[in-house]
Amino acid sequence: MVLEILVAVTVVSLIGTVLAALLTICEHFIADYGPCQISINDESDVTVKGGKDLLSMLTAERIFIPSACGGRGTCGLCKLKVLEGAGPLLPTEEPYLEKEERESNVRLACQVKVRGDLKIEIPQELLAVREYTCKCVEITDLTHDIKQFRLELIEPTTIDYIPGQYVQLLTPVYEKSDEEIYRAYSISSNPAEKSVIELIIRLVPGGICTTYCFEYLKVGDEVKINGPYGDFRLLDSDAPIVFIAGGSGMAPIKCMLHHMKNTDNKRKTIYYFGANEPRELLLTDLMREFEKQLANFRFVPVVCEPEDSNVLGCEIGLVTHAVQRDLKNATECEAYLCGSPGMIDATIKVLEELGVSEDKIFYDKF
Amino acid sequence: MTQVGIVMKESPEDRKLEEVLRSSRLAAGGFMGHDNRSVSEVIDADATELSRLGFTKEQVAERMRQITKVAISGLGTWVQVGDGMEGKVDEAKGWLICPWPHKGKLAKRITVVKVIETGESIRWSDLNTHLISEHGFFEGKGSDFRIEPRKLIRTIF
Repeated sequence: MVLEILVAVTVVSLIGTVLAALLTICEHFIADYGPCQISINDESDVTVKGGKDLLSMLTAERIFIPSACGGRGTCGLCKLKVLEGAGPLLPTEEPYLEKEERESNVRLACQVKVRGDLKIEIPQELLAVREYTCKCVEITDLTHDIKQFRLELIEPTTIDYIPGQYVQLLTPVYEKSDEEIYRAYSISSNPAEKSVIELIIRLVPGGICTTYCFEYLKVGDEVKINGPYGDFRLLDSDAPIVFIAGGSGMAPIKCMLHHMKNTDNKRKTIYYFGANEPRELLLTDLMREFEKQLANFRFVPVVCEPEDSNVLGCEIGLVTHAVQRDLKNATECEAYLCGSPGMIDATIKVLEELGVSEDKIFYDKF
Repeated sequence: MTQVGIVMKESPEDRKLEEVLRSSRLAAGGFMGHDNRSVSEVIDADATELSRLGFTKEQVAERMRQITKVAISGLGTWVQVGDGMEGKVDEAKGWLICPWPHKGKLAKRITVVKVIETGESIRWSDLNTHLISEHGFFEGKGSDFRIEPRKLIRTIF
């Protein structure tokens, strides 16, 4: 009886093992797309093992395409031209592509599966993007929900970027997130400090990356970033500058101000920074320092709640109202905005009413 | 007498949804918090509570949308959004994705409402409004963005 049971168990186990082996072999041959060649800009080729999505294949080849959702097809950032081999456009890509983009073969790299040879076009500036291993060396509370993170570059040891650009910060797997994910943050540091990156981050309740940064990231921890990305930057002109920002929108403007100081820029500049109440203003002392160091710079903090605002020399009301009241010679100005979509949209409307032409308004929406 | 519970069979889609809601794929900590009930149990219990309070999920979601629309005009500052009520909207970069299998992509926007007299406040994301309106889902107990129907109605109506 016992022998019969043992034989039966052995036979069942053997059948299971054989089936599992067959499945593995089938998967290996049927789903094996073999080596696929990706031709980039008609200049270089990389050979990869087919089967995965284009975004992760390029990342593995150290070619970094911006993506804020970790390749789930939800941010629409990883756009590039796939001229040959991509297959039909997927329903998951459609909501993110304009008509002109579809016509010129723009695709979401995270949704394109590499199943054969591909011919793609990547903007030259993205080919300069690198991954950096850094050490978090300082975390500073700027307001109750905004912190500044100072990251020292370990490998490579230096970075070049244009003030206004951003990097992507990798959030590792941690207690509240099951997978690695990238989020984009503007660089706020002094560009003269090439071995350091500073980021100003506002806590988003329930946000995967900001929760990690605020509750888990500690001084001494290693983090990975890649970049730089983005075309938000100061134009090379003599026009007066209007900066308008709120919250963590301070980051790229601060970086631009460091650059203006480093280059002894004498352009007439006014910076409206909006907050709900005085405790939400940040880096006011540094801005006052810039007022002393830059030849033609004025900082105008604007708060909605008037309590204590006189002490800080604030304008009262919404930042858009302050701009309406205070901005002179608007038609000559170039405007640079960074903040929430609502704030940017309202500010653009006000600037246009004041006579700033559309082609002189540049913005970086959150 | 012991009542025998009826175990409903879950479809593969239900199981996948349950898995997504309990994971941190779309939001830190997920949507279910420490709630051990199934998603359908959470939805049913909140629907019962809502009905007892004399409201429908559509009425509640519509009121939430109205408040958000008014609060947006404050550009991140407090504005009056109703009698004795202030609200503000904070926005962050990116999108929130509905965990249900359909096209649901919402702005990463959080509305906070405060009753001036009592100081009581409640917050919701645009995704909360969508989840209530389309799926009757107020999230599991202990989730960061769980909304208690009773508190919500007390605050916004």
